[in-house]
Parts: sequence; structure tokens; C-alpha cells
Amino acid sequence: MNYSVDPRRKEKINRYKAPKNQGQGGGANEDMMPDYMNILGMIFSMCGLMMKLKWCAWFALYCSCISFSSSRASDDAKQVLSSFMLSVSAVVMSYLQNPAAMTPPWAS
Amino acid sequence: MRPVFAFLLLALLCACQMNSANVNTNGEDETDNDFAEFDDDFVDASYDTETAENADSSRGAGRESYIERQEVPKKSVSNDDEEDGLVENDDEFEHFQDEEEFEGYDAGDTMEPPIDQKTEPKLKIPNIPLHFRTHWDSYWMEMLMVAGLLAYFANFFAGKAKNARLAQLWFSTHKALLDENFALVGDDGKVENENPGLIKESESLYTLWCSGRTCCEGMLVELKMIKRQDLVSLVAGLMRPQLDQVHIKIDLTRGLMDSFVFAVGSKKTITKIFKEYTDLSKFCSLVAKPEDRYNVPSGFGVLSEIPEATSAILESRVITALNKYQSYIDYLHISDQFSGQIQQEEGNTLKQPETRPVLLAGFNLPKHAEMETIKPLLLLIFYLMERLKVYRMSKEAKAKADKNRLRVEEEFLKSTHAARAEAAAQRREDKRKQEKERVLAEEDPEKQRRWELKEQKRQAKKNAPKMKRLAVKSL
Repeated sequence: MNYSVDPRRKEKINRYKAPKNQGQGGGANEDMMPDYMNILGMIFSMCGLMMKLKWCAWFALYCSCISFSSSRASDDAKQVLSSFMLSVSAVVMSYLQNPAAMTPPWAS
Repeated sequence: MRPVFAFLLLALLCACQMNSANVNTNGEDETDNDFAEFDDDFVDASYDTETAENADSSRGAGRESYIERQEVPKKSVSNDDEEDGLVENDDEFEHFQDEEEFEGYDAGDTMEPPIDQKTEPKLKIPNIPLHFRTHWDSYWMEMLMVAGLLAYFANFFAGKAKNARLAQLWFSTHKALLDENFALVGDDGKVENENPGLIKESESLYTLWCSGRTCCEGMLVELKMIKRQDLVSLVAGLMRPQLDQVHIKIDLTRGLMDSFVFAVGSKKTITKIFKEYTDLSKFCSLVAKPEDRYNVPSGFGVLSEIPEATSAILESRVITALNKYQSYIDYLHISDQFSGQIQQEEGNTLKQPETRPVLLAGFNLPKHAEMETIKPLLLLIFYLMERLKVYRMSKEAKAKADKNRLRVEEEFLKSTHAARAEAAAQRREDKRKQEKERVLAEEDPEKQRRWELKEQKRQAKKNAPKMKRLAVKSL
């Protein structure tokens, strides 16, 4: 498996082009986790805000954490940030409205 | 929480003041009622019972202000009476001032001293909302959630650092070999190559672009790590173990390799990619008993289009490497017709997807970060590239390959025939509409009339039943 001839060719250098379908869920190799978590987080935030369900707001916070940790470097940071803000505000608002301790969904 | 508490306090204060005003009038009514129901028992009633009764009769928050008012310095009876007199301004009740008649009434009366308008009564709020009195113990779920978040972030930083370390280790181990083979190692795609090395796509995905070599246009290495930064994925990984992987994708120079499609790899991966990739699913068939036929290690599957090419690729050296690095090799995929994964919305595409020759490979990284063990796998890739360059199929095999490509193209054209016809009809219709608009825009009525006539004729011809033209013989 050794070669005597130098295989390098400077004239054949092609610059790197980022795949076109990146971030649009083009291939199955594409990791859809951040997008799913973003949507899930948004739904939970809304449930937390509208229905005053504290555990929903907390789950939303977790979802946005997962979305943040698995987001791609090329992804829009604003999206992650807005998801974070929404979930944090859901938690804060739910405790402002009713500072009582959270009751787990199975207890109520 | 402090502003909220302040707000709550303010709201309570307002409520108390409003209620105290109500109680004041209510109190007067009650006094009137008391007077109305006045009897000897009332005279004998002790101070304490009176307090209790009055306290019961008052409602809600009014109770607090009522009790508070007891603490206001007591006014003299005469003052009170004067005020009563002023308020009621009625001589009818003059006899009430007779001390002999109301023994012990003063004591009861002092319970409700009038509020001094000048000095605000000092309010104490005894009725603290329920939740302020709750203990921190009741917030155990919140504490659990916060602890979970802290654990998540601690794991995030630890996992991120470990992935970065592993990727860097792979790169440093293979750098010398890559430098020997490529003129450009590590490119970020920017005009000035700012970061010659691994590109971080995400916390668990690193890529490396190499280019400037014979046989190929470029090589993209993707280091797909376990998502160590995500605690949820780690927990999921306990149930379905995953491995760190390297995916190598080489764009071969056009015309370098003969036309054939081939793949070898672990059975699980082979069945997966057989369904996923267009070229494999269209050109290849799964080889039965590849262990006997091509001597591949057990647990490996082979997808082959041209048996001759498959056996040429799976020659002794490659088989030795496959046997030696069986646990590290996930798949090898060689194709001249690579067009990516099967598109879901294939019905909408009217053009056949562009194909290009590629060499794909997937390797598992060793568990204990001994990157040196998988270094020969990169050599195997370079060897395969050289082999593809020199290998030429026989005439029969070439003819078979060409036939296969023609068959696939025909199938594609057949499957999209209806869609293409529809698209053509749509184009024609658009053209006609444009023409109509153009004619209508013109001011010459004669032209318009002519065009309408022509259009009518065309429509009639279109709607007329199709029949054969009969030649009438002249008799």
C-alpha cells in the first residue's frame, strides 16, 4: 500500500464548499434534533404560558437546552436564543402568577 | 419577587383602606342595629364576647382593619359621644348619653373608636398569603429541575471538551499521512484560509476538507462523535449504544473509474444504505453468502452490480484488511452513479439527479482513543483509489453496465412521463395566454378579430372527434 510517486497535485486543489442542503433537513444524515427540540420547546413554552402549567415551562427550558447543545455552528444563533428566552419567560411568568410550589402532573 | 411583594402589599393596603371605610359605615349600622335590638342581655355582655361578636360580623379583610383599630389610642367617651351626636344629629337618642341607663356600655363602645383622620392608622398585615409561609421543602421539584439543569450544563462542557479532544487526537494522528497525500489539508471555504484544520460543525461533528491529489477532486472527512455534550442522548445511548465514527467521502475525478456500483460493510449498515441510497437501490443486488463467494469476514454484506468488478475490488489485500479491521470498518461504497439519498418527493422532479463518481467509507473509532490502530484504514482508502484508477472491466462487463444505466434512465423517464406531459401542456397554455394578452393589448380591432377567429378554429379542431380521413374516390 505504499507509493513511490508523490500523489499530491497543487493544480488540482479545490476549495471547500459547504453542502447546499445543510440546515434544511436535506439528508437523513442531517441531525434534526435541534429543530425538533426547538419546536417542542416552543409548544411547551406556550402551554406553560397559556395554561399556567409549571412543568410545561420547565420542560420547555430543557428542550431549549437540548436544542442549544446539539445545534450546528452554522445554525442561526438567534433561533436558539429566542427559544431560550421564551422558555425562561414561561418559567418566570408562571412563578410570578403563582409562586406556589410546582405540583407534578401526576399529582394533580 | 420583591417588586411583586411590594405590589401585593400596596394592593392589600388599598383593600384595607376601602374596607375600613365600609366597616366604618357598617359599624354605624351595626350600632344602630344593636340599638334597635338593644336589651338587657347586651348590657350584661362582657367586653370579650362583644369583641367576638363584632369580629364575626365583620367580613374578609375588614376584619384586619377592625382589629387594628382596637390598637388606636382610645378616645374619650365624651368625644365619641359628641361625634355620634354630630353624625346622627338627632335628639331622639339623647337618652343614650345617660350613663346610668347604659352601664358598661362605655366599655363596649370603646371597642370602636373613631379613626383619626389626620394620623393614618398603622396597619399590620397579619394575613400573609399562603405561599409565603410555605417552606422551601415544598419546592423540591423546582430544586430537582434546577439540579437537572446544572447537571446538564456540567455534562455539556465536559462532553464538549472530550469530543474536541478526540477529534484533535484523530487529526494529529493522521495529519502526517494526509500531508503526504494532499496539497491542501484543512480548509474552511473562506477566501483566506483562516482555519487550516478541523472545522467544528457542531459539538459532536467535525469536518476536514482535503484536496489536491491525483485521482480525486477532494476528500471530506466527517468525525461524527457520540453526542457527549447532550445528557439526553447519552442516556439514550445506554439503551442503543453508539460509536464515534469517521465518514470519508471522496469525489473521484470523472472518468477515473469504470462504471460500476459496489458496497461492502457490516450487514446492518449494508441493509440500511441499500434502502437509502439511490445508486445502490437501483443498480445493486444483495449478494447471497458473500463469505463463500468473496471471502469477506462473517457479518459482512456485499452489494454488487457487476460481479467481475466486485471480485476485482475485493482482492486479497482488501480482504486481509477487512478481516484485520473488521470491528472498525462500517462500510465501503464505490459508485460511479452516486446521486445521494433517495428523495421523498421524487414525483416532482423531472430531471434525473446528477450523478458523480465517489468513494465513501465509514469507520468506527476505537473505544479507548487509540487512533494509531485505525491509521492503516486511511491507507486502505488511498490504495482503493489507486486500484480504481488502474482497474478496467472486460467488454462484457462494460456492456452490462451500460445496459443497466440505460435501463435505469428509461425507468426514470417512464415514471416521470405523465408529469412531463403535464408540464409541457402547462407551458403551452402559458404561451397561449401570453399571446392572447398581447393581442388584446393591441389597438387594431381587425387583428383581434382575426386572432379570435383563429382561436375559435383551433378550439373547434381540438374538440372535434378524431376520425380517419377517408379518401373519396371519384367515380
